[in-house]
Amino acid sequence: MAADIEELKKKVLDYMAKKSKFKPKMYFKDLCKADESAKMREIKKAASALVQEEKVEYWSSGSTTLYSLKGASSKETDTFEHD
Amino acid sequence: MIDTSMYKDDPGYNIQEKLDIPYDPTLADREYNPQKPMAGRLTDQGPPHYEQFFPEVIKKNYGKWLTHEFVQSGVIKYTSETGDLMWVVRCATPRLITTNLLREIGEIADKFCEGVCRWTTRNSLEYHVTDEGTLKDLIEFLNNFKHPGGSYKLPIGGTGAGITNIVHTQGWIHCHTPATDASGMVKAVMDDMFEYWNSHKLPAKLRISMACCLNMCGAVHCSDIALLGIHRKPPFVEDDRITGVCEIPLAIAACPTAAIKPAKVTLPNGKEVKTVRVNEPRCMFCGNCYTMCPAMPLADEEGDGVAILAGGKISNRISTPTFSKLIVPYIPNELPRFESVCKIVRNIVEAYSKGANKYERLGDWAARVGWERFFEQCQLPFTEKSIDDYRLAYDTYHTTTQFKWSSHTDKLMKEAGY
Amino acid sequence: MADLKKHDTPLLDELKKGPFPSFVDDLETRGKGGVQCCYDLLGQLELSYVHKETHWKHGGIVGVFGYGGGVIGRYSDAPEQFPTIAHFHTLRVNQPASKFYNSKFLNKLCDMWDHRGSGVTNFHGSTGDMILIGTSTDELEPTFYDLSHQFDMDLGGSGSNLRTPACCMGKARCEYSCLDTQAICYDLTMTYQDELHRPAFPYKFKFKVSGCPNDCVAAIARSCTSIIGTWRDNIRIDQKAVQAYVGGEIPPNAGAFSDRDWGAFDLQKEVIDLCPSGCMYMDGNDLKIDDRECTRCMHCINVMPSALRTGVDCGATILNGAKAPILEGAQMSTLIIPFIKMEYPYEEFKDYVDLMWDWWMEEGKNRERLGELIQRQGLAHYIVDILGREPIPQHVKEPRSNPYPFWKEEEVPGGWKRNLADFRARHLA
Repeated sequence: MAADIEELKKKVLDYMAKKSKFKPKMYFKDLCKADESAKMREIKKAASALVQEEKVEYWSSGSTTLYSLKGASSKETDTFEHD
Repeated sequence: MIDTSMYKDDPGYNIQEKLDIPYDPTLADREYNPQKPMAGRLTDQGPPHYEQFFPEVIKKNYGKWLTHEFVQSGVIKYTSETGDLMWVVRCATPRLITTNLLREIGEIADKFCEGVCRWTTRNSLEYHVTDEGTLKDLIEFLNNFKHPGGSYKLPIGGTGAGITNIVHTQGWIHCHTPATDASGMVKAVMDDMFEYWNSHKLPAKLRISMACCLNMCGAVHCSDIALLGIHRKPPFVEDDRITGVCEIPLAIAACPTAAIKPAKVTLPNGKEVKTVRVNEPRCMFCGNCYTMCPAMPLADEEGDGVAILAGGKISNRISTPTFSKLIVPYIPNELPRFESVCKIVRNIVEAYSKGANKYERLGDWAARVGWERFFEQCQLPFTEKSIDDYRLAYDTYHTTTQFKWSSHTDKLMKEAGY
Repeated sequence: MADLKKHDTPLLDELKKGPFPSFVDDLETRGKGGVQCCYDLLGQLELSYVHKETHWKHGGIVGVFGYGGGVIGRYSDAPEQFPTIAHFHTLRVNQPASKFYNSKFLNKLCDMWDHRGSGVTNFHGSTGDMILIGTSTDELEPTFYDLSHQFDMDLGGSGSNLRTPACCMGKARCEYSCLDTQAICYDLTMTYQDELHRPAFPYKFKFKVSGCPNDCVAAIARSCTSIIGTWRDNIRIDQKAVQAYVGGEIPPNAGAFSDRDWGAFDLQKEVIDLCPSGCMYMDGNDLKIDDRECTRCMHCINVMPSALRTGVDCGATILNGAKAPILEGAQMSTLIIPFIKMEYPYEEFKDYVDLMWDWWMEEGKNRERLGELIQRQGLAHYIVDILGREPIPQHVKEPRSNPYPFWKEEEVPGGWKRNLADFRARHLA
């Protein structure tokens, strides 16, 4: 249902914004705390949609993947980039 | 024929027409707009369907094969219930290969095998032919196909009771946590073991695997012989840069043994910064912290090296699948040719070859003669590092009075004055 | 063409010697052909051989837009010495099941990768993907665009995703295969594209499919869900062919022992006596198998492939939970479903996958593999409460040796709420 997913996306974004101040990168399980009544697969849909909308981005260690608000953990990438 | 009609609408069901169109190096530059990444984007297409790459003889005989025979090391003859025959030639690759070699692999496929080839799970390459004349020509071609330095580009072998190709990881060629090099060690060991690569003279197949740190991308933990890069020094902590490049909670959470704790320190310039401290005796040297936090590097010339594990297997044949066991806790990195690793591998292989029964895998031989005899016959010192003190350690303790007298007990007896 | 610069590599040059294929020669030949990054890659590797330490840094780049996996970021820590490999990211490209290719494909892929990247590859990575090693951040999206538009291809998995499923060659070549391994691998890969590209698992997850218990893709050692072919009926015996083995007309084990004199083939010693369940015997000149006692280890079939064949009532044994030693120690997959039919569209199997994933997503801690969750919450709980399956002796090697099962209140008549007064009426305090 489109209305629900919009609502869920907002909840996920709000939660991430709150959390981001002290922990920019989050596990998927953290995102699920945005709405504990929602099914994990619904949260995943919302998170994937937010990635497509360029509001959320992934970060990966290669073995583990984390989510962050777009740009929130860019300082690290800056340190890595050489040009 | 295989019924694959249910997949015919998949994007990768048949890409052959697409492959006929030459690669267009400017297509993405013309069409892809970084400002609109979703425009024209194709996602979730999945892999190409496998059947389109089969040679005709396989399409025709899929599921109809009756039997096979290794006519020589590296050459397998297949017989189908349709009466068709097929020969497969298996050759080693070092896994790390350039497009130069890939193109040559394709050229050989074109020349001898309808353009088709296949890779095995252990990084060997296989060619399929349907007549003995072509088989002979292909073998002759491969036997003369060499690099400028004289090594074979695609040496034939890797079947039956011999040593198959070593599966391995990236090592120093492309990874950030390795404790040793992978491609170089594999080259050195396979050069030394080459007589077993292209022959059928061992008691059973012998599989060597190599992983360059204990994260084991190569999952070497069930191999007859496992070569494993290990670190032995805990990571640095770069207090002056850690807050800039790391999220400290992630570095803390990355540690499998909870050895990393948050800390506050005052830098020489008087600035107080948040950082971490490592409880060093708890460090298991995995490098997970370094993956999350580049201010915690752990590579070290003196600390790093190689451990050897042995006696594992995957197959369910006769005995059940088994883990490899730690038999050599540490060997320094000897570059470029890892002489000690090669020597120990040779000792193990030769002792096994001499002592094992036909069909007996290395671990089954060691279990039968007893690990005390294994260490003796492989001329390996037994150290306390081989006694488990990690989780579930008790499972490996020797809870019986049944043991064998060996050089180890002889020494004890002598020391006791018996 | 810019000036080529070859670094001195005296240590690596030693790795050109010997018979086994030299990756150094391959990279150097490509460098000589005008590809500086291959020279730089060798130069940096030589530096690692001198320092005995890696010179790569981790990147944190994950994929292309919208994907949470498929790309591994790599940066050189000596970019001034080796500028062409300053960025040297890896793409994982989903391989066709069981890794057959044609030259048309290989050539076009080479054209693409020579243009977009270094021309260095792994055929294949440990999980099974084609690995394209070495390109800059700017080229990642165009490479994906080329793969998806000019090849109809896609990236593989990395991070907390479903990893690219892998399988053995199955019925394409192997008479042992009890499963259509490629079909299963392909179908699962297509069905779970979302799980493969968009991470929402606690950690990595792997499917591997082997056609028989010889397990050539190491499913039992390396996958969270191991799908291994087996059969329920009888091993097919061709008595005439058995006698051909006995008479030395056919070499044992398909000729796998051909370079050593092991003496004449001895059916009793080499097959019957080695059978782990002791279910084989001779009845006159006929080889007999008590199939009910057979554990399908494959030994007899491996020794006499022309005489013995797997049964025809085939399906899969499903095992769960294998992983490499990090963290609690290595685990082998443990038996969950002794037999399941694996036929398109694999509904029964996929229903089981849903139950498994729902549980693991809900209960798994961050970075906890399925096998570790089973260990933490208990195999019995997983089998009975989560999957709703009946516990059977096959689920254990042996019953537990401690008497401490956790009884549930509802299993005990009358429950746990008791009347203390009644108790004390019977027993003085």
